[in-house]
Amino acid sequence: MTAPRPYALLAEVTYRCPLHCPYCSNPLQQGSGSELTSAEWARVLEEAAALGVLQVGFSGGEPLARHDLGEVIAAARAAGLFTNVLTSGVGLMATRLAELRSSGLDSIQLSLQADETNLADSIAGTRAHLIKLDAARLIKEAGLPLSLNVVLHRQNLDRLPQILSLAEELGAQRLELANTQYYGWALKNRAHLLPTKSQVDTARAVAEAAQKRLAGRMDVFYVLPDYYETRPKPCLAGWGRRYLTVNPLGDVLPCPTAFSIPDLALPNVRQHSLQWIWTESEAFNRFRGTAWMPEPCQSCDRREIDFGGCRCQAALLLGDATATDPVCTLSPRHQVVDDIVSSLQDPAPVPTWEMRAF
Amino acid sequence: MTSLTLQNRPQLASHARIQTDRVTGQTVLLFPEGILELNETSGAILERCNGRPIADLIADLAQHYEVPDSELQADVLEFLEDLHRRQLLRVP
Repeated sequence: MTAPRPYALLAEVTYRCPLHCPYCSNPLQQGSGSELTSAEWARVLEEAAALGVLQVGFSGGEPLARHDLGEVIAAARAAGLFTNVLTSGVGLMATRLAELRSSGLDSIQLSLQADETNLADSIAGTRAHLIKLDAARLIKEAGLPLSLNVVLHRQNLDRLPQILSLAEELGAQRLELANTQYYGWALKNRAHLLPTKSQVDTARAVAEAAQKRLAGRMDVFYVLPDYYETRPKPCLAGWGRRYLTVNPLGDVLPCPTAFSIPDLALPNVRQHSLQWIWTESEAFNRFRGTAWMPEPCQSCDRREIDFGGCRCQAALLLGDATATDPVCTLSPRHQVVDDIVSSLQDPAPVPTWEMRAF
Repeated sequence: MTSLTLQNRPQLASHARIQTDRVTGQTVLLFPEGILELNETSGAILERCNGRPIADLIADLAQHYEVPDSELQADVLEFLEDLHRRQLLRVP
């Protein structure tokens, strides 16, 4: 099928990060090679804008770990992109923020691990919570809208009311409550991260009530825990349809976790133009459209709503990236997910995390 | 949230930006985590959101499209209220 135009690019500018969250989105094994330089990023961002991309999110790792982040942001703005930095807040001093602002930074999303210092720091694997609260105040003082992201899991889901209060207290305009998705490090630590059904039900009610109560003041986005859903998430609105990710080494991925698919050869911006990668590469065409779909997806009336669900999840849980996402109750192998959920221990054992050491 | 009146003086929020889409040539509104593709009329409304009263904005627009103010009023208010709900306007 012909490639549609992409809208948003996730630019993972470095894997370096001062935090060690047990659901870290860095790959379990990093490829070898050097980080793209700011000049290489400038080329990639211009090519992305020419393809149709309108928004870029700078992520990582911790994007502030790159001293030339300002240059990269300036290049994005020169290409006409709306720029967003997704940060832990560690390293966000007033002078740095002013520099990024003058480079053309449009918005910042700050992550928190919990509402309470000890819990937050135990999840981050370092003392970062109080630094983050300072960062939140700096962002507000700079006149930027405060957008918060909290990854939710078994250890902090019960604190959702307090997390909401903290977001209100900090004056957040947007709060993204993202239930953990199980790839990479999160999959390794799933036994301690996956919440129970009763936690999930309570949290959903709390989130829905908050959405109503805070409408017009704070936008509350609640990313559902998909192991407890009956239909899969429409992964990035379809493979190679709207989004692309470029990792620190220049590999281009249809989704940030596409490294979970073992035989997917990731094209690299050092060898190919972004245009070729988006339109021609095998990686971007493999699951584009609906022709690749097996049954029950192929004849399902939701095939263009959820696009067969998540390819990475099918690869990780079933060893077959072409299978229907097993989260779907229509999947012939849905039992795999039910077994995971029913094997949860109650009460929760004390977590022993496997944390990223590099 | 209170609804807007003709006397309110909305401006685009500082974290939102109007941009020309390089692929379609259309006007788009960009903001954190979001993109709104604007049709010609909504683009024309937003261009006129510069802190003047909504009544003036409607009068200007009505002159531009050569229609009576009353024909535009409800649609303009509805569009602006939608943006306001999404925190994309500053209304002093």
